[in-house]
Amino acid sequence: MKKRIIASLAAVAIATLGFSASPASAADESSCGTAAGFCVGLVTDVGKVDDKSFNQSAWEGAKAVASQLGGFSKYIETLDPKDYASNIDLFATKGYNVIVTVGFLMADATAAAAVKYPNIKFVGVDQYNGSTAANYTGLGFPEDKAGFIVGYLAGYLTKTGKTAAIAGGPNSIPPVRKFIEGFASGVAYAAKEQKKKYPKASTVYYTGANAFNDPAWGASTAAQYLTQGYDVIFAAGGKTGNGGLAKIAKKKGAFCIGVDTDQWNTVPEAQPCLVSSAMKNISAGVIDIVKGIKAGTDKGGNFVGSVGAAPYHALASKVSASIQAKVKAVSAKVIAGTIPTGVKA
Amino acid sequence: MRSRWLMFAITFIAILYFYMRDSLVTTSVIGTAITFGLPLAMAAMVGIMCERTGIVNIGIEGTLLVSSFVGFFTASASGNLILGLISAVAMGAISGLLLSLLAVTWKMDQIIAGTIINILATGLTSFFYKQGHTIPSTFPEVDIPGLSSIPFFGPVLFMHGPLTYAGIILIFVLWVALYKTPWGLRSRAVGEHPSSADTAGVSVIKLRYLNVAIAGAFGGLAGAYLTLELVGSWDRGFSAGKGFTALALMIFGRWNPIGALGAAIFFGTAQAVTNQLMITQVVTIPQQFTNMLPYVLTILILAISAGKVRAPAAEGQPYEKEQA
Repeated sequence: MKKRIIASLAAVAIATLGFSASPASAADESSCGTAAGFCVGLVTDVGKVDDKSFNQSAWEGAKAVASQLGGFSKYIETLDPKDYASNIDLFATKGYNVIVTVGFLMADATAAAAVKYPNIKFVGVDQYNGSTAANYTGLGFPEDKAGFIVGYLAGYLTKTGKTAAIAGGPNSIPPVRKFIEGFASGVAYAAKEQKKKYPKASTVYYTGANAFNDPAWGASTAAQYLTQGYDVIFAAGGKTGNGGLAKIAKKKGAFCIGVDTDQWNTVPEAQPCLVSSAMKNISAGVIDIVKGIKAGTDKGGNFVGSVGAAPYHALASKVSASIQAKVKAVSAKVIAGTIPTGVKA
Repeated sequence: MRSRWLMFAITFIAILYFYMRDSLVTTSVIGTAITFGLPLAMAAMVGIMCERTGIVNIGIEGTLLVSSFVGFFTASASGNLILGLISAVAMGAISGLLLSLLAVTWKMDQIIAGTIINILATGLTSFFYKQGHTIPSTFPEVDIPGLSSIPFFGPVLFMHGPLTYAGIILIFVLWVALYKTPWGLRSRAVGEHPSSADTAGVSVIKLRYLNVAIAGAFGGLAGAYLTLELVGSWDRGFSAGKGFTALALMIFGRWNPIGALGAAIFFGTAQAVTNQLMITQVVTIPQQFTNMLPYVLTILILAISAGKVRAPAAEGQPYEKEQA
């Protein structure tokens, strides 16, 4: 029995130690560390680089900026939070110029690496740089504003007055919490405008060990909401959310809202219900920061990226012109800050 | 035995009480419990069938992953869900045969053999995965005429997709087969004392091959359910650890199909109740505490109702005919 336990533990360890690396792009990895080379390495959180949401947009940004600058880019997908530091080390020891780490949970590892490798520039997506390190730039977003805008839309679209959010991770992750709370205040704002009394937008946070990576959980939770008459559902959270979107798409008359990127393109099975997505322009943010680093203008600190709601695409016909105009107006005011979201940063 | 009936009674009264208070929510919670629990139950059957014949299978996760992958992409390429289902089940059976080859024929350490299947499945599916593919639809919900209009039981039990019904029926079939047929008796004998079974004229090798392959096919059905009926999409790492949870439920259910089904539905209920606590927002318990609920309840129930749990005696040992 003891042997079996040891064997199982060893097996689990082997499985989690592994990581997958991307194929090489235009320039060559051997140029890294030389004067001519410009190399951008990206380390994902335990999510995947093709998660159709935030890891994917970060990687697309890193890839694009590296090729624009004639450099080389590569990613490592983290499979276990224990490996954050060692995955960063892999790039650092090869002489990469810029290392992009994705996700709030990697903030500590990134800050530590910035101290350890003072000559390498670090970009932390969804991270806040609380240190004075000049080689570490946190890329943050006012997610509450994006959440507020789609929540406002949801408040006008709902017929039952019941709106909900499915969060792919716990509310201890600030970007998740800000999206969700922004959504709820957006719904409340729309309800107040219409002089209707809607219950506060409900939320289920993911409760297992596979945050952002459990589509079946997202789908089951969506089913639970749908059977209770919730008709506009915001699915915020990587693949977990995508599973929810796919499930809602099968329910006639229900609307779903995506997250991070315009999920109309990345989650085609959600198209029957996907009325919009709460977008963070992660790619653009990564590109801007890396360009600043290359030009030598980047001084570390924190960079605030832009947010917004994705277009309605084919569902524009289901959103009346007056609602579209209202959303447009409110969206501008929220982004400018004249309508506060009431969510603490 | 008495504690089990007591548990049934408590569960029944609790459901009745909540149903009287709010029928919509109660129906929804129990219905969702089945949605959460069924794939786990089907995956647990893979473990039960294998271990009952003496093969430890920790490759269930890999079987789920690779069969859902093949099922999804076959359905996507052909536009035919049935074809997807067949290919998923076939892929599951193939993964079972691979485990047999490694563990029975080559007498490899069975934990390592299962790990090989998990790693292979992760690697192959990640490598061949292409974004942007969709399936035309999923298996639709089939309401059983008559039965589906019974209050509570109708929506909970008789308004599901075809694979849900197939899964539940097959679990009962497996129970009957395991305990009431000559095949079941032989299978269990092979799992407990293979040399005696061999002496009595049962081909240990053949039976192990057969059962592990059927078990794999069961895993294929679970994979098909996840992708073609429940979610309708596929992503890398799609099975998200369900194969490992299933192993725990197999032990919780004492290697008995009905027991494991009960354990899975129980776990699913705990999950659905956890969700419901957050959905209705009546009590605002910190989320960290509601998160613990499924696990705390499992520990409690295990402590109250589980007696001594015993695994099949010969599991994990390769069979050597000339050993004695």
